[in-house]
Amino acid sequence: MTNATSNRKRGKRASAAKAEAQVTPIKSKPSTVLIVGAGFAGLGTAIRLKQAGINNIVILERAGEVGGTWRDNNYPGAACDIPSNLYSFSFDQNPEWSRSFSGSAEILDYIRSMVEKFDLARYIRFNQNVTDLAFDDDYGLWHATTDRGEVFSARAAVMAQGPLSNARFPDIEGIEEYQGHKIHSAAWDHDYDFRGKKVGVVGTGASAIQIIPELVKEAGKLTVFQRTPAWVMPRPDFETPNWQKVLFRKLPVSQSALRKGLYLAHESMALAVIWNSPMTRLAERLGRGHLKRQVKDRWLRRQLTPNYRIGCKRILVSNDYYPALQQPNCKLITWPIVRLSRNGIRTVEGIEHQFDCIVFATGFDVSNSGTPFPVRGSGGRLLSEDWQRGAQAYKSINVAGYPNLFLTFGPNSGPGHNSALVYMESQIDYIVKGVQTILEKNLKALAVRDRAQQTYNDDIQRRLAKTNWNSGCKSWYLTEDGYNATMFPGFATQYARQMAELDLRDYALITA
Amino acid sequence: MAKIDLDKMLAKVKSTQWALSDIDWDAPGADLITEEQWPKLKAFMADLMWIEHVGARAFAAMAKKAPTDTLRELYSYFHAEEQRHANAEMALMKRWGMLEGDELPEPNINLRLVIEWLDRYSDEMPVYVLGTVVPMLEIALDGALCKFLLDTVDDPVCHQAFEKINDDESRHLGVGFTVMEMQGHGATYIKMVQMAARLMDPRLILGIASYFPLLNKMRDNVVAMGLSEEKLYECMQKFEKIGGRTEDGRRNPWFQIIKFQSRWMVDRNNRFYHTPVDALVKASGYIPRKLLPAVPSWVKELTYKPTA
Repeated sequence: MTNATSNRKRGKRASAAKAEAQVTPIKSKPSTVLIVGAGFAGLGTAIRLKQAGINNIVILERAGEVGGTWRDNNYPGAACDIPSNLYSFSFDQNPEWSRSFSGSAEILDYIRSMVEKFDLARYIRFNQNVTDLAFDDDYGLWHATTDRGEVFSARAAVMAQGPLSNARFPDIEGIEEYQGHKIHSAAWDHDYDFRGKKVGVVGTGASAIQIIPELVKEAGKLTVFQRTPAWVMPRPDFETPNWQKVLFRKLPVSQSALRKGLYLAHESMALAVIWNSPMTRLAERLGRGHLKRQVKDRWLRRQLTPNYRIGCKRILVSNDYYPALQQPNCKLITWPIVRLSRNGIRTVEGIEHQFDCIVFATGFDVSNSGTPFPVRGSGGRLLSEDWQRGAQAYKSINVAGYPNLFLTFGPNSGPGHNSALVYMESQIDYIVKGVQTILEKNLKALAVRDRAQQTYNDDIQRRLAKTNWNSGCKSWYLTEDGYNATMFPGFATQYARQMAELDLRDYALITA
Repeated sequence: MAKIDLDKMLAKVKSTQWALSDIDWDAPGADLITEEQWPKLKAFMADLMWIEHVGARAFAAMAKKAPTDTLRELYSYFHAEEQRHANAEMALMKRWGMLEGDELPEPNINLRLVIEWLDRYSDEMPVYVLGTVVPMLEIALDGALCKFLLDTVDDPVCHQAFEKINDDESRHLGVGFTVMEMQGHGATYIKMVQMAARLMDPRLILGIASYFPLLNKMRDNVVAMGLSEEKLYECMQKFEKIGGRTEDGRRNPWFQIIKFQSRWMVDRNNRFYHTPVDALVKASGYIPRKLLPAVPSWVKELTYKPTA
């Protein structure tokens, strides 16, 4: 087999990696599946594996609590942009959602309830931050080393650490010089009292537009720094009527029907968001109408009008962001930022805006080309090196040279128009099929073939070239060179279809 | 002067930023303004500050229309830098006791008309038009007026501020002329046709109607301050010299138009130009301010305070 040959060639590096693993003092007995991260993806994978009768699972979680992005993003106003009935697992629907778009606390409760309901706690090892993940070709095992010096091994590994999990302060000159309080949106300081304070918010993305309406109620003066205005759409958010909860409880099929309806409605949005079509114009008109209705001042409206095609960057939904910006204690600054100083932010118009506290809603480290920790595949090859010229995978989930490794939200799996959880479920079911294959055929390695990955990616990149994401704006979807390793260029239905089958012709099967 | 590498220019602009707090506005020297100078200087500074602000708004319009990312970012910076100049000039006025409380100085009626025009139509103007008019405005009004100011005022803080302002302006002009040359590329014929079509646009005619009197009005102000109007004209000729230094620059039809306009303006004997324009200046003086709509909110962002 091709991989076996290359394994021999890389023998030296492999034994070096093995030697490294051997010096680690604490080792556990190998499990069947090792999952990195106890957020939606990690827990969802564990549930589906369990349901398929695979119980020998270990979930490594770097924090002391489950929930991933919903544990970390608990800033005031944090909520999901997708209706809760669609932003939840189809295999564990929740009739109790209090609103159409639930807040982060309620979503976190839902995640916690799954842990209890599916008895997942026994699989989770908390406070185990993975620092290295390496494949052992000889035994067909993945070894995860954690910062506590423990090594966990398994026949298959699932990377479910989340694509947006590492909060990052921006690289603005002088950020270390600033003496006031600094808060990142994804690591909120709940002890800080904003009342009467002069507060700056850097960024006007998805987190910022949820934080600003809340902060403006408390802060003495709120100054918002915007680089690029986003498309903001109305948010059809309302409280769930009691009759609906009762109906969903008594007749779950009604909730599934609503879910299906929401799914199809979001699918239709792909026509506006992903490709440039008459629907795109319509969506832009809706966005401009929303702005015009909520902002009467011509200049402010001009500052808030996006100068790129809708869909090119993430579309935001809010009913209270524009009104918040117009509160008497709020000011929008669109001058470019020069640097941070001891007391605040200097902008190009020559003014130093001074603050007691600056909130950075500036996003995350997106691993377009790297990985959050070293991932060593067959023969010790490094994933970050393989991905140096842009991340790529086969069907977003497997990478050639990294057998038995499954990625959730891997390269080109990002949704722009539909619930991330819809995509996630397709990935999870694929993982279950993969693990079942490894077990049933007693494989040492289920290794996707290079050529299959190449063919898949050529097709993806060809399709991406025609999308709005690649239409010229700068976004975190793209690398510095403009390579799109983030988004899936199609309907969620197309994605689900490609994930429905595990085509073994595209894999090399190496038996134990 | 060779064409500028715009990417390098953007890096240069980013690395040479300054803030109002870099200047000690309370340093000695404010008393060097003579009593005789004071009232005229006050009117002059108010106009100058508004011209900077008007220039800022024009750059904002250009940023929206810029054909490349680099130019868009450059224009966004220039927009903010012109605002910085206006803020710094306000800070000077504050230093010289020319501002009452936090009040903005009142713009003269011609500036008020230009503000109105910019607010309503500048975003719809093709970058060709703005790309030529703005360098002209910068040289004729901004550059020239700053020079006069330094010839007349001895306050060292004023010189310190204008040293920084002039450095910024030289970069704005460098980019301005490079863009004019870029616009000169391609089929001249097509440009002429496009331009003729634009000239028919009533919005542009309105713009011209506000711009020409503004130039004549500023000439009157300069003369009122006891400065030689010849110097203003020398500066305007600089536009013709630099803008027309290359074949590409000369091929830009807008350059040709603005060049002829500035020639007419400089020639006091050209009654064909000056009689109607001076009449417009006079006429605009009679426009009741109440008839003008409220000033747009971008005007309210001016401040003399180095910190906010």
